[in-house]
Amino acid sequence: MVFEPVAVIRWGEVRRHAGDPGVALAFAGAAVMLGLFVLYPAFRVLVYPALQDYLEIPRSLRWMQAARNSLVMMVISTLTATLAGLIFAFAVTRPDVPGRRFFRSIAVLPIFAPPFMVAFAYILMFGRQGLITKTVLGLDANIFGWHGLWLVQTVAFFPLAMLIIVGVLEGINPSMEHAARNLGADEWAVVRTVSLALARPGIAGAALVVAISVLADFGNAVVIAGGFPLLATEAWFRMEGLADLKGAALVVAMLIVPTVCLFLLERYWVSRRVYTTVTGRGSRVERPPTHPVLKWGTFLFCCLMSVMIGLVYFGVVAGSLTAVWGRDWTVSLAHWRLAMDRIPTLLASVKIGAMAGVITGVVGVAVAFLTSRRLPLRQVLDFLAVLPGALPGVFVGVGFVLAFNRPPLELVGTPWILALALAFWHLPMGYQAAVATLKQVERSIEEAATNLGASGLRVLWDIYVPLLRRAFLGAFTVSFIRSVTNVSIVVFLVTPGNIVATFAILNMIGNGIWGGAAALTTMLLLITFASVGVAQAVVGRTLRSMPMG
Amino acid sequence: MKRLIAMGLLLALVLVGVGVSQAQTTRIVVYSALPDLETTMVNREFTKRTGISVEALSVAAAGTIAARIRAEKDKPRADIFTGGSRDFHIPLAREGLLLAYKSPAFAEAKVSPVYIDPDGFWHGWYLGALAIIINTDRWDREMVPRRVPKPATWDDFLRPEFRGHFIMPSPITTGGGYIFTAAQIFRLGEDRAWAYLRALNANASQFTPTAPGTITLLARGEGIVGMQWAHEGIGARLAGMQPLETIVPPDTGFEVGAVSIIKGGPNPEGAKAYVDFLASRTPQDINAKFGYRYPVRADVPVPMGATRFEDLKFVKYDLAWAIDNMTRVRERWTREIGR
Repeated sequence: MVFEPVAVIRWGEVRRHAGDPGVALAFAGAAVMLGLFVLYPAFRVLVYPALQDYLEIPRSLRWMQAARNSLVMMVISTLTATLAGLIFAFAVTRPDVPGRRFFRSIAVLPIFAPPFMVAFAYILMFGRQGLITKTVLGLDANIFGWHGLWLVQTVAFFPLAMLIIVGVLEGINPSMEHAARNLGADEWAVVRTVSLALARPGIAGAALVVAISVLADFGNAVVIAGGFPLLATEAWFRMEGLADLKGAALVVAMLIVPTVCLFLLERYWVSRRVYTTVTGRGSRVERPPTHPVLKWGTFLFCCLMSVMIGLVYFGVVAGSLTAVWGRDWTVSLAHWRLAMDRIPTLLASVKIGAMAGVITGVVGVAVAFLTSRRLPLRQVLDFLAVLPGALPGVFVGVGFVLAFNRPPLELVGTPWILALALAFWHLPMGYQAAVATLKQVERSIEEAATNLGASGLRVLWDIYVPLLRRAFLGAFTVSFIRSVTNVSIVVFLVTPGNIVATFAILNMIGNGIWGGAAALTTMLLLITFASVGVAQAVVGRTLRSMPMG
Repeated sequence: MKRLIAMGLLLALVLVGVGVSQAQTTRIVVYSALPDLETTMVNREFTKRTGISVEALSVAAAGTIAARIRAEKDKPRADIFTGGSRDFHIPLAREGLLLAYKSPAFAEAKVSPVYIDPDGFWHGWYLGALAIIINTDRWDREMVPRRVPKPATWDDFLRPEFRGHFIMPSPITTGGGYIFTAAQIFRLGEDRAWAYLRALNANASQFTPTAPGTITLLARGEGIVGMQWAHEGIGARLAGMQPLETIVPPDTGFEVGAVSIIKGGPNPEGAKAYVDFLASRTPQDINAKFGYRYPVRADVPVPMGATRFEDLKFVKYDLAWAIDNMTRVRERWTREIGR
């Protein structure tokens, strides 16, 4: 997103748009919606506790402990996930590393999984009844706690880092590496001083995105952290356990400080410093063979990570078909029968996911259209449309409860509150996809239409709508998949009439119905993969991800 | 034109989806602190009997349900709070969030008045006792060779051999956890009780946010000894083939699992019918057969594998004190134990 100073407003164009009631109305409508569903809930959270309550935070031992734990987890999980993502990205962008296509497709799998799935599968695999730890190795391992969470978050979030870093590495012009070699540098020096040096801002950006995700991670933490307090889970505990709305608001307010800082850092500092654009890309110079140590080292590492990802899926599917995990390994369909009773929750998930997808798509495309005009205040709209990317899911969940639990806008208890919270939380992805599409639109087409006397809305309808259909579909799909698999927001907003599948699964895990939980998770996966397949066919590329919830 | 039609269809689809979920009049909303299975079965029977459909949210943590009811007090969304010990219903009644209703069905069923609130704010429909639960697999492997005697009293939890192997439900979110904590205070007096709880914390591997979570972890051998409702342990052994042994120690605490009507809920008449229904044999039978909880009706058989309720030895449980001090005790737990 190019950030232009306000001074470059072309007043002629502004006048033309200001006189166009359609555009002016759309602008006002978008501003009101973003204000109502992005800013207002955030504002409600921050002002719900009194100043005195904020001042007392340092005196609460548990909260300080949770804050410390969250920050420590953020640092260590971000380090390992980014490092793993970097090695992986390096391997899959080298033409001579075997199996790179396979690695690349298997590594994106965790992105489509429900956020608690890695933790759940690893309990089945590496817990005390773990297939690997107990049955195969005969160990007595305790996976609950910070070390288990660290492992889980590394596996869950490294694909995010990998996708970003792959984009950066692919942008590096191989001729730079050639130049270094011609100057007599050996392979290590090339990797160190050219490839990695050029990728540095990209890596920093990936690390920041991962850090936000780790801080906001609720699903894995709630399943595997055991008695280890973290800010994200503490917020839910406050709300659920004690009906302490004020406490929940305070905790998520603590959480928002680091996430917003990381977000601003990534958006306005790191992404400005991408060196790869200096040389451009598309050079046809062949890459020389990778150094064998690097080649096979990264290959082995990719194999290891692929096994770790494979175990996630294997664990859940096997868990759903095993009679009694860890004790009776006969195949049984009893868990599937139990999960069949929960089909209504899956339908609720799909319904709410579709509602959220439509809202994300429509609002994302509309806001992208408006910010592509040279209107005053468009930076404000742009900022509001990407801001949810900085907000942890638990913050959005608490915010919607506080903002819409009473008249005039009473949405708690309806499916709309879930759909709107999820839709606006996923808005940045839909919006950015639409912005990218709009950048490709030839301005002259539109100018021609305007000169022929078409109004702004007419232009939108006849020229942009057909062009933006793909952007809409992309936004719809991402929002749908993430809404269907979301946990962090829905735990705050479910009501008896709107119980969604992820909530039912989390309940089953908590109540020890692990087989049923595994079967229901498998069903949910089938739905998400089917929609990913459809989306890939229609849109043809995977959109960049944002914090998981 | 095609585009218009497509958009119109999309809109219609969303609207239909929302329309389907609109409220009906012959429906009640139930918050249940019992596990999903029993809740679903009981509700199915209720619908069969009365024709009133049930929307249920079951979270096996009474503290959590009570928290929800408080959070929604300006506009209650549920009619019924079922399950969970009366310890969680009484504070809600005091705060004026429950509707008084003296169920004639409970009187007809000759349920002992001990289990019914004289003002009609709550009706007890099942009973449970706290117990020591042991994972026999790990016990035989790790404790028998070291000649550790099986725990028989609450104090045995503090044995150094159990460090890192003890699990119980959280006193903050669950009824069982809180009643256990209160039982220690009645057994030892406040100061010694907290010393006991701190020592217990040193042995604990975790405090689970829901009651059944403790059984899960024990059954899978994530812990060796734990504290939970006897019926949960017995149920997991009989129905789930889990390697668990259940021992009810002296000075145990008990729950009177209650049902109450939320004041200002959408369907008070349906709610009354639900309370009446719980006095009948069918739901208590389901609860005894599938949840292994003691019925309050004399004519429903005691759950399989359980001692008669009258033969258990209870601590002198001061209900009024336990309720008056609930918030304070939980706050102190948060402060001193911190998990």
